[in-house]
Amino acid sequence: MIPAKFDYVRPATVEDAVSALAERGEDAKVIAGGQSLLPLLRLRLAYPELLVDLGGIDELIGVADEGDHLLIGARTTHYQVVHDPLIMQHCGLLAQAAGTVADPAVRHRGTLGGSVAHADPAGDLPAVIVALDATMLARGPGGGREIAARHFFLDYLTTALGPGEILTGIRVPKLGPGWGYRYEKFHRTAQAWAIVGVAALVRRSNGQVAEARVGLTNMGSVPIRAASVEAAAAGAQASPEALRAAAASAADGTQPPADLHGAPDYRRHLARVLTGRALEAAAGV
Amino acid sequence: MELEHSFSVPVPEERAWEVLLDVERVAPCMPGATIDSVDGDEIKGRIKVKVGPIQMTYAGTAKFTERDPAAHVITLEAAGKETRGAGTASATVRSKLESAGDQTHVIVNTSLNVTGKPAQFGRGVLVEVGGRLIGIFADNLAAMLAAEQSPAPQAPARPEPAVDTAAETTAVAAAPADSTPDEALPIDVLNLSSRAWSSLRQDGIQTLGDLTRRTEQQLRAIENIGPASLADIKSKLADRGLALAESADRPVTPAPAVPADVNGSRPAMGRHAGPSETDAGEELAQVTPLRPARHESVDAPARHEPSTWQPPDNEAIDLLGVAGLPVLKRAVPAAAALIAILFVLLGIRRRRARHRA
Repeated sequence: MIPAKFDYVRPATVEDAVSALAERGEDAKVIAGGQSLLPLLRLRLAYPELLVDLGGIDELIGVADEGDHLLIGARTTHYQVVHDPLIMQHCGLLAQAAGTVADPAVRHRGTLGGSVAHADPAGDLPAVIVALDATMLARGPGGGREIAARHFFLDYLTTALGPGEILTGIRVPKLGPGWGYRYEKFHRTAQAWAIVGVAALVRRSNGQVAEARVGLTNMGSVPIRAASVEAAAAGAQASPEALRAAAASAADGTQPPADLHGAPDYRRHLARVLTGRALEAAAGV
Repeated sequence: MELEHSFSVPVPEERAWEVLLDVERVAPCMPGATIDSVDGDEIKGRIKVKVGPIQMTYAGTAKFTERDPAAHVITLEAAGKETRGAGTASATVRSKLESAGDQTHVIVNTSLNVTGKPAQFGRGVLVEVGGRLIGIFADNLAAMLAAEQSPAPQAPARPEPAVDTAAETTAVAAAPADSTPDEALPIDVLNLSSRAWSSLRQDGIQTLGDLTRRTEQQLRAIENIGPASLADIKSKLADRGLALAESADRPVTPAPAVPADVNGSRPAMGRHAGPSETDAGEELAQVTPLRPARHESVDAPARHEPSTWQPPDNEAIDLLGVAGLPVLKRAVPAAAALIAILFVLLGIRRRRARHRA
């Protein structure tokens, strides 16, 4: 289908983009890779009057080493995330999860920042970002600000970004030695959205789990940290039995959606099973 | 999707019955709804739904299809069509009233049906959002009914235990003595953006009263409330004749928690979520603090509903203007077929001419 009519600007700097956005308020929408927004436009489910294309702002691409953090530009594509040596070395979970996003064509166009700012509850990267305790960097008319990942996702497709704000980058803490990771995703066709996804990070010491972090995809309107699993896994033996026992509470307190792909009970079951698998893989047992 | 909500209100059943039958007062309880016209029992209106970048407006009608005083059942049917697309949404809302002394227990069964693009593309998100809207509708209905009660002393309302949802909590705050009925309404009636709504709720602001006890500075201090949200909140409050607190002369304190039997008029609102209501317990746990309200002012929601109606944009597409010359290519096969037929006809005529010769 043909999208409704809209104006289009392609600023060269973040400042220009912010002022273009600020001028039009809620009628303007940022576009980066366009892999989520363009389908919405073509289906005429969204009618922005102005698209601000970040495609001309190259400072938003790339990965920088900031000591104990990595700063990943919002326009870095999934493909670049998968193949970046710094990300591979310091937060491999992000690279592994980005490799499961949709299909190669989408991974070449779609961007990390776009996927996170779109905040689709079935998107893979929001749960990973939440599990990694990352920080979002936003720039708006009032200057820059930082938003912790766990305060960033507010609702279906809704984030803490204001109408005039642009997500410029994501600061991810480097995982030290001893951390293992795994993103487990369940879907029926290769490029489909996750019916349920689980991002697990496990730090082992002396055959025990010293610390675990678990993020759940598509188990609610926003990505969720499975706090009860994290508490149960911490201090547990790094054995398949202990980790599976810890994973039993993965679905507690969640309100997963019901749709064609699965009923809430099915999703809760998936969450428990996938959390067990992800923890085992992350702990290397 | 089938949903069930239930709540108790401290008004006698006859009163609740009367209010529930007043379309003009029931309709504004639906978030995002505006009334275009009222004709007897039938009400024409539209409802705007916005989820992130997705926005849809459904226009349609709502009317009562069942009024059975013997069975204490009221059924309201609403059906609408997308104003910019072919999708439809319909809901049958069946309310059953059960009298329990001075209280009325209301069970709301809703069957919600969404068709078309939004339903397909949204992977169920829109149905979920619709279910949530109906949850808010039930809350608003409860708030409006509770505001109906007379100021006469009544037996203390005992909180109805939540039926089965573990995440539910029943938090109750009492509004200050000078509150107006409007202040008892949940902030949902303002139809704020979901960002502003979530942020206010996270800060413990549940009712218009909670909101008007804050100053502008305090709201600004809340994460994610910026100048745009603030302006929106202020204008929507002004539509209802309310305003934010002044910064200096009205010290703001959280509403004091009052034991359940102090004003004896709080609604007990156990809510029972249907199986598909997805959002977190926080949402389900929505409870509206209320106090005795004056009868004449409870029409307020209907009267003050800000009108957000806008003429629908022209849907017609100028195909040539949008797609340009390539559209003409679509005529090529037809033209080719015509030419082919012409050749065949010419050939036949020539052959006949040769035969005659």
